[in-house]
Amino acid sequence: MTQHLNEDDLYRTSSQYRLWSFSPESLATLRRKTHELAITRASQYAPKSKSSLWQDGTAVDCLNAEECLRLVQRYLDQVRTTSDHFKWPVPVKATAAQYLARFYLSNSPLTYPPKEIYKTVLFLACKTEATHMTLSEYARRISTPADEVLAPEYKVMQALRFTLDVRQPYRGLKGVLMELLNLAEGRVGEVECVETGGAKALQAEMLALEVPARTAQTMWSAKAAGKIESKDVMDRINAAYSAARTILDGPALLTDAYFLFTPSQILLAALHLADEPLTSFYLRTKLPLDSDLRPKILTTIAACAELLASFSGSHILSKDERAALEQKLEGCRDPSTRDLVGSHAVAKRGGDGGEEAEEKARKKKAAREKHLKEGDDLFGPSLNGKG
Amino acid sequence: MSRIAAPKAAPVSKRDPRTGVVQSQDDVCPVCKSARYMNPSLRFLVNPECYHKMCESCVDRIFSHGPAACPIKGCGRTLRKHRFREQTFEDIKVEREVDIRKKVGATFNRREEDFETLLAFNDYLNDVEDITFNLINGIDLEETNKKFEAYTRAHGKEIEENAQMAVQERQSFSAAQKLERQQARERREAARREEEEEKREVEENRRDVLNRLASGADAETVAKEGQRVQLKKRMDRQAATERQRQLQAAEDTQSERNGRFIIKGLRTKQKPEPEAPVDPFGGLRLVDSYFTLQDDYIWEGIQEASKDIKQTAGGYDVRDYAHRSLVAAFSGLGVFVADEMTQRGQLAQNDCAVSESVGFKDAEMISAS
Repeated sequence: MTQHLNEDDLYRTSSQYRLWSFSPESLATLRRKTHELAITRASQYAPKSKSSLWQDGTAVDCLNAEECLRLVQRYLDQVRTTSDHFKWPVPVKATAAQYLARFYLSNSPLTYPPKEIYKTVLFLACKTEATHMTLSEYARRISTPADEVLAPEYKVMQALRFTLDVRQPYRGLKGVLMELLNLAEGRVGEVECVETGGAKALQAEMLALEVPARTAQTMWSAKAAGKIESKDVMDRINAAYSAARTILDGPALLTDAYFLFTPSQILLAALHLADEPLTSFYLRTKLPLDSDLRPKILTTIAACAELLASFSGSHILSKDERAALEQKLEGCRDPSTRDLVGSHAVAKRGGDGGEEAEEKARKKKAAREKHLKEGDDLFGPSLNGKG
Repeated sequence: MSRIAAPKAAPVSKRDPRTGVVQSQDDVCPVCKSARYMNPSLRFLVNPECYHKMCESCVDRIFSHGPAACPIKGCGRTLRKHRFREQTFEDIKVEREVDIRKKVGATFNRREEDFETLLAFNDYLNDVEDITFNLINGIDLEETNKKFEAYTRAHGKEIEENAQMAVQERQSFSAAQKLERQQARERREAARREEEEEKREVEENRRDVLNRLASGADAETVAKEGQRVQLKKRMDRQAATERQRQLQAAEDTQSERNGRFIIKGLRTKQKPEPEAPVDPFGGLRLVDSYFTLQDDYIWEGIQEASKDIKQTAGGYDVRDYAHRSLVAAFSGLGVFVADEMTQRGQLAQNDCAVSESVGFKDAEMISAS
């Protein structure tokens, strides 16, 4: 009995679909709940009567939800720049940003300030995406003690629910690029149920495509005079690709796109922003006109494109704003998570009293050394301590 | 009177009332020569080793101290006391033959439904009969015994299984018979009870009528009423018995269908299914529904990689990369996250399971359904 899976079914098996995809409402609900829980915790470590944080029963001097979000976003950007500093490939960047975003869905910056977490997240991402750098090297280059990098790692893993796979749009974008170039060349891989009219017709259609709008993000512009040749079309495609890539690099990672849309939709939305006529043409060769999924897919892509377009670089916190927020955070953060290194060490050792464990370790070491020394002795170890 | 008058002769042979064996006065034990005339309770025992008969007292005398040789002249076989038994058949030859058949039948116990063709079954029966004939008549004893042992060794397990099956069948058959007898008994009981009931009711009715007449009611009306009541009761009883009979009939047909008397024939031949080739994907197939892979892509990344010896030397096909990229390009295109997640949330709510993932410090981990 054969079961046929198409690409959508494949995506549905991924952990990103099962655990880390939300509708906008549920995403907002989740974030709100996390923040409320953090505020409730705040009343424990900064009780209402004593601390200056509270006024009329509401936490005034605490970071509110909006500020938390913006702080996290700032550190998403920081992760990106750090990854570029290390010259790591782009999947690492995307994975690290997604890990951070997922972490802060279920934890609040009030409990774990992002400054202490983002280095761990980046290190975890470089391990996951097979560009491993040794811990000592990483710690040195990022000028942080190695313990501090490792300490929050288990908590990060727990918050990620141990699902480390992040589906990304980059490889798919390359696939679309390949197909577009082939279409321009006059080759087509026909899809079932789609009326295309053949390779030549498609090639002619491509040559006759309208120029991208002024608002499009692609760098390509039509030649002033003369017919468009296939070489121009290829330039156009490549320009669209690079523009889409830039969009995927920036706004896609810094917004909630990965939570609300699938990587395929994100990449097509980026292409849509880059060069709309080209994308529409491409989708026409892919989706049969009479299918009922087609309008839905197109609206989803449009919605995603809107989300990506609505983001602007100025939205990210500047350095001063970040510093101000962090100072405020210092006053209202959870003190029990201050010493992550210490709690990590205790957890590793098994949680018993530190002194006893050290005593035992020392005794064991002494016994081992003594045994080694006696073994080296020319006449063998002593018999019962005599002679 | 004269003394020479011959006394009335006692009957020469009569049947033993207990065992039904014909005993004649002339029965003489070949070993001790004691006759029944002297001890009327003479009983003869026979040993299946050599089938020589002797009286019980001889058996006790000779074999009580362990195995000894057969006392009959010419037969020196060692006999054991516990193997002596009463002769079942008049003819000793029949006794011997029956014993041999029993022995052969205990080993060669295959049935018709173990064979696929009639010819095979008949061949088997023929072989078994050959062996039996040889054993009975002492022809080619060595060869026959060898065949016997070879079969026993080869089919040891089957013999056991068949024997067990036979035992079970016998048990179930006797159980079914018992059940039937019980049912018949119950039915008889019920019928008898019915009759008694009827008689009693008739008596009651008559008494009732008389009482009413005695208390001075109108004779005609009383008589009519009495008749009506009697009729009604009879109708009810008849209806009840009808229903009972129908139920019984239904039960009977069902029990018959359960197969108390199924005639089994040859086993139907089942052709073995040809083994399907091993499927490493266990029935899963990936279908490209949004694209068709082309043979060559003019993108320079593909072109360079297909010419690069470092990439192609290991047998890596560049088309795999192209395929993977295209699958990634369309994987999830038709998945509408918002709708599907709200749908799942509603389903989860219906199941009263909360699907939230909350972090370590802020709340308990509630796992999704």
